[in-house]
Amino acid sequence: MGMEMIDRYIYAVMQKLPSSQREDIAVELRGLIEDMLEERSNGEAYTAEAIEEVLKELGSPREMAQKYRGTKRYLISPELFDSYVIVLKIVLISMTLSLIAVFAIESIINPVDILDRFIELIVSLVTATPQAFGWVTLVFALVDYSGGFKTEDLKLDKGWSPSKLQPIPHPKKQIKRSEPIVAIVFYVLLMVLFAFSSNFFGVYRFDDGELIRVVPFLNEVSFPQYLPFVLLLLAIFIVKECLKLISAKWTFKLVAYTAIINLFAMVVVYFMITGQAFWNPNFMEELVQSGIVTSGSEGYNIAAEIWENTTRAIVILLLIGLVWDIVAGLIKARKE
Amino acid sequence: MNEKEHIDKLMLELRRGTITIGVLSQLSKPQYGYSLVTLLDEKGVHVEPGTLYPLLRRLEKQGLLDSSWDTNETRPRKYYVLSQTGKNVFDQLCVEWEGIVQSLNGLIKQKGDNGNGND
Repeated sequence: MGMEMIDRYIYAVMQKLPSSQREDIAVELRGLIEDMLEERSNGEAYTAEAIEEVLKELGSPREMAQKYRGTKRYLISPELFDSYVIVLKIVLISMTLSLIAVFAIESIINPVDILDRFIELIVSLVTATPQAFGWVTLVFALVDYSGGFKTEDLKLDKGWSPSKLQPIPHPKKQIKRSEPIVAIVFYVLLMVLFAFSSNFFGVYRFDDGELIRVVPFLNEVSFPQYLPFVLLLLAIFIVKECLKLISAKWTFKLVAYTAIINLFAMVVVYFMITGQAFWNPNFMEELVQSGIVTSGSEGYNIAAEIWENTTRAIVILLLIGLVWDIVAGLIKARKE
Repeated sequence: MNEKEHIDKLMLELRRGTITIGVLSQLSKPQYGYSLVTLLDEKGVHVEPGTLYPLLRRLEKQGLLDSSWDTNETRPRKYYVLSQTGKNVFDQLCVEWEGIVQSLNGLIKQKGDNGNGND
């Protein structure tokens, strides 16, 4: 039994060591244990008690292996941990809000099923949270394992001197961490809603608190063709927000990136929204059918006018917004 | 944490830093792990084998020690000895150590003069 215990001990230590070192360390460790036993036994046979005592003195196999490995092991090393936490927060918040938003809209569309939907929501949250957690962790662990982003590799602190310290950015130049995070969560939410169903965007017609129908703003037939572009656009916006998160202050470089992304977005938005097939072509007819307005009435004319103007105004507003985003960035970047 | 725990923790750090010099000092002639434990113990420096064995491997990996297996004895033993780099490093470390001892003695004695030294 005693000798077997030594085998077990060595085996347990070896399990926790890289295979390249195992054999060497195993021989050495066995030698050490026998040396220690020999010293204690004064030439007599080793007793099981003596073996137990020696192994206890050496410490648990885990501790022993840790000493041999030298460095502590991390799934995600301290260098990456901050970024990991930020990404994890964004992903989990986005996911939770998206699921809740889908639940809310579905419940409005079909209030009878609210209990089922609620159960679905809980199930989704319970199953999706560990998945999201797992995927983010996996990606970071792989990055860490490949050793891609170690501080020393990035040479972040090489040749550092106090004179190289960046001036504290003007308060208006700083980008608060919360801004890009909120924006990313918002974009993800939009992505989910679009991907789930473009029918969420429309006029809701209720009767006695029950939803009768939704008159969609978007062209249900042709929107699926647009969907990849919408998702791509939102994804690019998320990249933009990530750049802001990394930069943490407005710089001309950041403004340049923003400008490129926004100009691209403007082109996409312009061609997409002004295209014939983007908006619901039968919007007014469907509005009449749903009984919200009566054809030929004054209300109809007002609604038609609002519809016309809004669809046009949205393009303009989006374009102005994108331009303003660049201009505002430029103004902030110029502040000294 | 009580007083003893503080002392234990600080002593652990202190030993961790000095143990390497102690090990290097005994390796101008080849030694295997356990003989080194005994040798150091006799001279009043207690090192756990569980600490010493990994340390020897690390020093070897860093190039301060050379190693060779002796398979002629009752059991195979890995002998470690200072490499040329190890010798140079050890010499330099000794100079540094003397410096530390001197400056610290200066500090401690000065404190003792103020009238509150034990030992």
